[in-house]
Amino acid sequence: MLALGGALTVFLAGTGAWLILRWVGDALSPPGTTAPERVPYTGGYAPASHAWSRFHARYYAMALLFLAFDMEMVFMYPWAVVFVAEGMKALVEMLMFIAILVLGILYAWRERALAWS
Amino acid sequence: MAGSRRATLRNALARFAAGAPTRVFVLEGIDAPDALDVLQLRPDITFVDTPRSATVLLVAGRLPEAMHEPARRAHDAMAEPRATIWWTLAPDDGAMLPFPDATVVPAQPNGSPAAIVTLARMLARTQAELLCAARPSEPALLADVDPAPWRGVGPYGQGGAGMTGGVPYGRPLAGRAPDRDGLELDQLPVRVGPFFAPFPAGLVLDITLQGDVVQEAIVPGNAFVASGGDGSPVRVTGDAFHAALSEPVRIADLERARARHHLRWLARMLRVHGLDALGHRTLALAASLADSLPRGALGDVGALRRLLERTRGLGWATAGVGVIDPRLVTGRGLGPVARAAGLSEDARIDDAAYDQLGFAPVVQEGAGERTRHAVGDARARWRQRLGEAMQSLELAARAGDRRTGGEGRPIEGVRGRSSDVTRDSPSAMLLALLPDLLLGQEWGDAVTTIVSLDIDVREAGRAPGAAPLSPPPAPQPSGGMDGMAGMAGMAAKGDHTEHDHATGQM
Repeated sequence: MLALGGALTVFLAGTGAWLILRWVGDALSPPGTTAPERVPYTGGYAPASHAWSRFHARYYAMALLFLAFDMEMVFMYPWAVVFVAEGMKALVEMLMFIAILVLGILYAWRERALAWS
Repeated sequence: MAGSRRATLRNALARFAAGAPTRVFVLEGIDAPDALDVLQLRPDITFVDTPRSATVLLVAGRLPEAMHEPARRAHDAMAEPRATIWWTLAPDDGAMLPFPDATVVPAQPNGSPAAIVTLARMLARTQAELLCAARPSEPALLADVDPAPWRGVGPYGQGGAGMTGGVPYGRPLAGRAPDRDGLELDQLPVRVGPFFAPFPAGLVLDITLQGDVVQEAIVPGNAFVASGGDGSPVRVTGDAFHAALSEPVRIADLERARARHHLRWLARMLRVHGLDALGHRTLALAASLADSLPRGALGDVGALRRLLERTRGLGWATAGVGVIDPRLVTGRGLGPVARAAGLSEDARIDDAAYDQLGFAPVVQEGAGERTRHAVGDARARWRQRLGEAMQSLELAARAGDRRTGGEGRPIEGVRGRSSDVTRDSPSAMLLALLPDLLLGQEWGDAVTTIVSLDIDVREAGRAPGAAPLSPPPAPQPSGGMDGMAGMAGMAAKGDHTEHDHATGQM
């Protein structure tokens, strides 16, 4: 309960500080007031079309792979807790689990998901 | 009560801010005074990269007609309070300035140190007065209207055709085209320049981007060339290389000017690469060469070279970027760019005076087994100019009173061969290389390439076929909206989307 209260305090203090800083900044120097001031600056010409465009994020496949493996690391936490008690059996089980994951990486590699271009 | 307390806080902070270095955004015109370098070296002045972060707009030299509209946009992009100062050799030529409220500061051709101090103090005073509200902020020059309000069909401005539900701020979304991975994605046309800080002064490019990949680059003319005129505003600067075409000049002066030019270029490049401290040091070295050759200059440049060779980030950012095929530039007299591509081309080779000094051009050697680096890339070009700067300093130190030039032979200028300064223009040739060179590059590499070529847009404007700047391309109204509508329909009508892909367009 005490820990939760502490976390809540930090969260509220952080949010409050952020709001105050934003307010001070806006009060001292308001954001762009005229239309020409709000336009993105590219050297003196107004943009012809809106920059809200879709493009190919090449790191997309890598990011997905990373996310998958990052989540699987979560399984290692309970495993680490019981590892000393279970001994060799736990180690072998984890090795099997990781070996299956490695097969997934090898497959992604073969499919060129890790190639940048 | 709360209002007065806020005003007190505001005043205290304003006085505190007024003591900071003056944040200056520079608009370089046709005859921007050389002493800009000296101004940049002052600790109480900071040159910023966008008008957004500037307090004072410094217009250096006269702005030709084509630059007036962009200059107004740059002015209005500054946050208030703002002020404009026009620093010019020709203060009477008011037609060359689009700002009615600018304070005029006359410049001297050979800017004396005292004049720079006066200008710097004036810039600082202007910022202080603006921040303390002792001087009124300049009003906006352009009308405060969005090209069109962003409003959809719903009662709160939401909804409408496509994902965005309207035309955001009057700007249509980008059209679509296949990208380098064979996907049909949006293309963003954008005109960059003429006041884009990393670019050479006055350079304007029409770029088509997909993500950050340059799909097309067009040079839409030269902002320094007057439309419908004979290009007369492009002034020929009276430097040592210009003089050498008509009369013999001391090799020592010529080579010192060359070293200074290369170091000034290097300072600019380092700044673009985010190495501001190194750039400042390089600029200080260049400034020390302005009038005479200091004793330790060669050693200082040598130390700088060792430092840059060890700066891994710079090597990574420039190696393999913007590679120029030697066959493209053979025999065109492109000076350092050609020599960086491994060509031994130099007008000084045939010069008897240089022969007596034992001159042999610095050339970047082909990639050997030990180096993985290509010749002709941006890395080879900065190493080439640094090597040439050292060679020039060394030649200048032992040239004595030897003279060259004035015999009708071509002169090796800082960017290449020149036999007639009003016609020969290595910059125009380099500018013509840009569209092919930038194709398919990522934006950061494209900027690196452009900077590495050391293009002088004013010089390019003197070339016989130099065209004035054409108006920016009109937005294509519908493509992007249809694209977005197609995307919105994707979930509901799969077969419809299949059809779109098959035909390649909406």
